[in-house]
Amino acid sequence: MPEIEYKGQKIEVDEDGFIQDPSLWNEELAEYLAKTEGIEELTEDHWKVIRFLNEYYHEYGIAPMIRKLCKETGFKLKYIYELFPSGPAKGACKIAGLPKPTGCV
Amino acid sequence: MMDKALEVLERRLSRQLAASLETCVRCGICADSCHYYLADPRPEHVPAYRAELLRRIYRRHHDPVGRLFPGLVRARELDDELAEELIKSAYGTCTMCRRCVLNCPMGVDNGLIVRTARGMLAALGRVPKGLQDTVDVHLESGNNMAVSEEDFVETLEWLEEQLQDEVDDPEARIPVNQAGARVLYTLNPREAKYYPLTILAAAKVFYAAGESWTLSTRAWDVTNYALFNGDDEAAREIAGWLAQEAAELGVEEVVMAECGHGFRAFRWEGENWLGRSYAAPVRGFVELVAEYIRTGRIKLDPAQNPEPVTYHDPCNQARNGGILEEPRYILKHAVADFREMHPHGRENFCCGGGGGMMAMGEFAEGRLAAGRVKAEQIRATGAKVVATSCHNCLDQITELSKHYDLGIKVLNLCEVVAEAIILPGDRQ
Repeated sequence: MPEIEYKGQKIEVDEDGFIQDPSLWNEELAEYLAKTEGIEELTEDHWKVIRFLNEYYHEYGIAPMIRKLCKETGFKLKYIYELFPSGPAKGACKIAGLPKPTGCV
Repeated sequence: MMDKALEVLERRLSRQLAASLETCVRCGICADSCHYYLADPRPEHVPAYRAELLRRIYRRHHDPVGRLFPGLVRARELDDELAEELIKSAYGTCTMCRRCVLNCPMGVDNGLIVRTARGMLAALGRVPKGLQDTVDVHLESGNNMAVSEEDFVETLEWLEEQLQDEVDDPEARIPVNQAGARVLYTLNPREAKYYPLTILAAAKVFYAAGESWTLSTRAWDVTNYALFNGDDEAAREIAGWLAQEAAELGVEEVVMAECGHGFRAFRWEGENWLGRSYAAPVRGFVELVAEYIRTGRIKLDPAQNPEPVTYHDPCNQARNGGILEEPRYILKHAVADFREMHPHGRENFCCGGGGGMMAMGEFAEGRLAAGRVKAEQIRATGAKVVATSCHNCLDQITELSKHYDLGIKVLNLCEVVAEAIILPGDRQ
């Protein structure tokens, strides 16, 4: 299992860069993961998406539907794709500390 | 300990498999047909080498000499070490694209050999985790992303509102569970969960064609990852749900969303897994759209897609599924500048993402390296857009674009068509 070195701490990630232990996630780590996805600076809108994803995952144990994400954040679908160029699954969920989804992603 | 795997081999030893295991003449032509070998010419990347791992086990149990003096014919018992080699070979360096099958003078089906090896490993519980999880989630929840019925319905209602805005008609519908509809349409769970614009695009096409269609909330997942993990029991169960739903709704045909392996699994393998015929015939979405254009049920304006477009044939829809002409026919009507890559159609190279490879992160490095063949094919066309007909190909090609700096956009055919559609209102 590969590791990323972050603030002197070694964190296990899978080969696609998803962290293995969701409890290790914090906002500074999110900033680091965002850079690996080509997002240099997280704006308030990014954070709105990331916080919702993380909270939803901790409550239900699964990523929310994109429908819920749009509804809760009030963002249009196209805007979410713009915010996270690698997409909601590989981009936003990864930065929010969720595990890699099953299926075609 | 390995008995379960050997039982799978015995059970699946059809004439086709036995002939494939017996008849390799080691000419090596298969090497140059494989994208893994072309990108990195190592012996382990020759299709015949991969097949040889299973042949050794076969000879140990079926060759008269192999049974008595295995060393003389390089026969080998399946043990832990060989199982590990098989995992790397059958799951890690083969997408079961079957291009080598087409180029084998003896007609050896290496795809069948690799899937048999995968089935044997599945019986031992040794399928790579990401792939097995996808099959398990499908079996447990009815779709491969565990989308609940409530979430699914809510998403479709939301999309229906967007469709009404898009076509400017408050009566436009995304019908659900309509018994007696002509067409039962299916979806890839990722469309509902993360990328719903392709659902909207398909709905727009159905709307423009005035089609009588429906989705089902009970069986709607187009995928069947058991084609990839090699587990026939799981494959049969998954295919059975959709077959049963089509029969219960009494539809005239089942139309598979744009999904290479899902089309092949249900169209070409499902009836064999189930051991019975379907109540309704099965077609791919692309086949139906080509018919809409041919019969004048939809009209397209190619000027809406002015950028140069090339088409990537998903292996399981083209070479292994028989859909070759329809995507080209569609694109020639839907885009202003269509360019073929070479080779294409039946001889097309796999993008590198097939065979469940996208779900197995442990083999990502080799997957991206082997994708170089596809990246070069795309670059040579000068196209700015790659259209394809499979979500898995779409993701892999999007990754290739990043990795090899291709600067392209990747779209499913339904999106290209929806962009070009002239709605009845537009014509007035």
